[in-house]
Amino acid sequence: MTEKTTLFLCRCGTNVADFVDLEALEAWAKTNAGVDHVYTHDFLCAPAGKEFIETTLKEQGSKRAVMAACSPKLHLKTFEDCATRVGLNPAQMSMANIREQCAWVTPDKTQATLKARSLIQAALNRSVLQVDLPSQHVECKTDMVVIGGGIAGIEAALQAAEAGRKVTIFEKEISLGGEMIKVEDLAPMSECAPCLLAPRLSAIRENPNITVVSGATVTDVLGFFGQFTVIARKKARFVTDACIGCEACFEPCPVDMQSEFHLGMGTHKAIYTLFPGSVPSAAAIDQEHCLHFQGNECQACIENCPFSAIDFAQKEEIVEVQCGAVIVAIGAEVYTPKDLPRMGLNGKSNVFTYAEFERLTCSNGPTQAKLQMRNGTVPQSIAVLHCAGSLCSDGLSYCSGVCCVNAIMAGEIIRKQIPEAVVYNIHDRIVFPGAEAEHFLQHQIQAGTRMIACKNLEQVKIAEQANGKINVTIPGQEPLCVDMVVLSTGFHLGDKAKQFASILNVELDPHGFFKSDHPILNSTGSVLDGIALAGSCLQPSHAVQSVTMAQAAVGRALSRLVPGRTIELETMISNINPDICAGCKMCISSCPYKAIRFDQEKKSSTINEAICRGCGTCAATCPSNAITARHFTNEQLLAEVKGVLHG
Amino acid sequence: MANFEPSIVAFVCNWCSYGGADSAGGQKLAYPANVRLVRVMCSGRIDPEHVVAAFREGADGVMVMGCHPGNCHYRNGNHKTLRRFRLFERMLFQFGIDKDRFMLEWVSAGEGQKFQEVTMAMTERVRNLGPLVISGSVAQEISHA
Repeated sequence: MTEKTTLFLCRCGTNVADFVDLEALEAWAKTNAGVDHVYTHDFLCAPAGKEFIETTLKEQGSKRAVMAACSPKLHLKTFEDCATRVGLNPAQMSMANIREQCAWVTPDKTQATLKARSLIQAALNRSVLQVDLPSQHVECKTDMVVIGGGIAGIEAALQAAEAGRKVTIFEKEISLGGEMIKVEDLAPMSECAPCLLAPRLSAIRENPNITVVSGATVTDVLGFFGQFTVIARKKARFVTDACIGCEACFEPCPVDMQSEFHLGMGTHKAIYTLFPGSVPSAAAIDQEHCLHFQGNECQACIENCPFSAIDFAQKEEIVEVQCGAVIVAIGAEVYTPKDLPRMGLNGKSNVFTYAEFERLTCSNGPTQAKLQMRNGTVPQSIAVLHCAGSLCSDGLSYCSGVCCVNAIMAGEIIRKQIPEAVVYNIHDRIVFPGAEAEHFLQHQIQAGTRMIACKNLEQVKIAEQANGKINVTIPGQEPLCVDMVVLSTGFHLGDKAKQFASILNVELDPHGFFKSDHPILNSTGSVLDGIALAGSCLQPSHAVQSVTMAQAAVGRALSRLVPGRTIELETMISNINPDICAGCKMCISSCPYKAIRFDQEKKSSTINEAICRGCGTCAATCPSNAITARHFTNEQLLAEVKGVLHG
Repeated sequence: MANFEPSIVAFVCNWCSYGGADSAGGQKLAYPANVRLVRVMCSGRIDPEHVVAAFREGADGVMVMGCHPGNCHYRNGNHKTLRRFRLFERMLFQFGIDKDRFMLEWVSAGEGQKFQEVTMAMTERVRNLGPLVISGSVAQEISHA
């Protein structure tokens, strides 16, 4: 061995010294040809120990050091820093774990000493094969892209813009607002939704750092943390930015179409906005219904537009944005139990989902917030069914955690308009956590909500009678005959959201929601670094949780994407020798991060070092041994195996 | 055979199973001294050739341990481990090596007790099989592996 190697043995007080014969080890090591110096110390990790290491390495001119001490998970970094301070690199420092994996688990001192010897031999064998892994940095973009313009996306954009970052929001609808804009009363305490949302929409409109791309579907997210490219298809609006949303064209437009915004319970014209004051404020033309696009001569909107904003020649656009981090806030879909006949939901009877009930009580809804039945009359008795289509074998298997709150709030909303209305809540367990929740529930009961407990909600049957009234049969209870039924349903991710997850290459949890990187330490991070999650796409959320998640997601991105700072890459990554690579592409499918691509010109696979996280799976997969897993090479592993068996 | 102490090499991932072994240490849960660990970042890094090399170098038994499926630090590296070594187990007899000399296990960083249990079970299993003897053409064959 040409390079000087020093072995340090740590007594760790009595932790190692009492169980391993360190004197015997020292004697053995001194005769071991590979080691130039051996020292035993009481506490290598203590300040005096670190000073001892550094002084010794300098005095002896050692080029390699092996610490026989505790777990490298505990102190490898500590000792690597010692090495760095005396001009060595981290690869010149190694550890043998003779405490956790030897002294503490081997009661027989002779055996423990032999085991320690083999662990030290393995570390020495490996040490000479370790090479410096230079740190690499990449420039990072500090701007952000937000996908989804509901309350989570809105909050994320405002937070990032406040820090001076440029933000692009991609929204699939023609304007922002998501589910929250369709609601008047916010859970849990019936807070006024428009009062909270309208000022935030204005703030987005007025913020020069925020660009809103509406009618947009994100088709690709390429790159890695610090350098993403987001590509979206933006539908033609056929109305230019000159439009201020004055609505002068609405009246003249001859086409009425069913409004998805009103969940099919109302109509809008073929040129429309979702609500006054939308962002963007411009109207949009529905190509499928507008007479012009059906080959007719209709010019009604053009003739009535004071801003000459109609442009039938507009084309679909591809929009591409570069950014450092992506916040996914695409929300969830209301689960509609229309396939469960026992729910009586047929779109004609006075059985409504809670989402429809919300539209009927919302000022921008089809009835301008007047709660009424399909025939326009006011309901006098309303039954609200908890867990509708949830926690059952033929619907959602899980509890969404937000629907009980909605169900209990329904009584409050109803009595605001119809004080004399009778409200029944048919429930099993009530999921309504929080210090104020029980107080709110008791208040509702005092105000008139009649709680009907039922252990078997799956056997509740809802059916319309000939006179239009709704019969509700409840096992073990008197049947109800009411004017209206509201089904408090849960939430799920639709097929499009699931497809989107595969575009992003992020995983879903067992219930079909986006999976967190870590449920506790990084609950708003996806499994891919730099792609954060917020709102109901993670878990069904009320506005309060969505806002908190958005703030957390953006905060984390802001603290890691700092202007002028670079991102340090993982050093223990893999690389492919193109001269050996046969181009079989097996590594490409083995990589959990899609970090490998095939270079058509060189006819070999190549690893993107900014994406590689260094798991080494590709190296084990490669049938040609063309891939080296840095710091865990075949030679290094074999040297360790020989050490642990023969040392 | 009663005095035979088998040598076991255990390849363990950094994030879960190496941590599991450290946990066993922290709780002072003794296990056979001849179980020796080789750390990799992910169990997906372990190539069947590494296992064969350990047998060739004198291991009587070899273990591969990683994070539980679904908990891989690298998303799904351990799924590759599972696929690879289920297949490998079926090939081992072709080398004249009993498949019971190999064990794939999932041990999380908190499962010190499980680490102790599986290493003890493996040692007992291999003790009953006796020392590994590789002979004939196989010995020649794997000496090049």
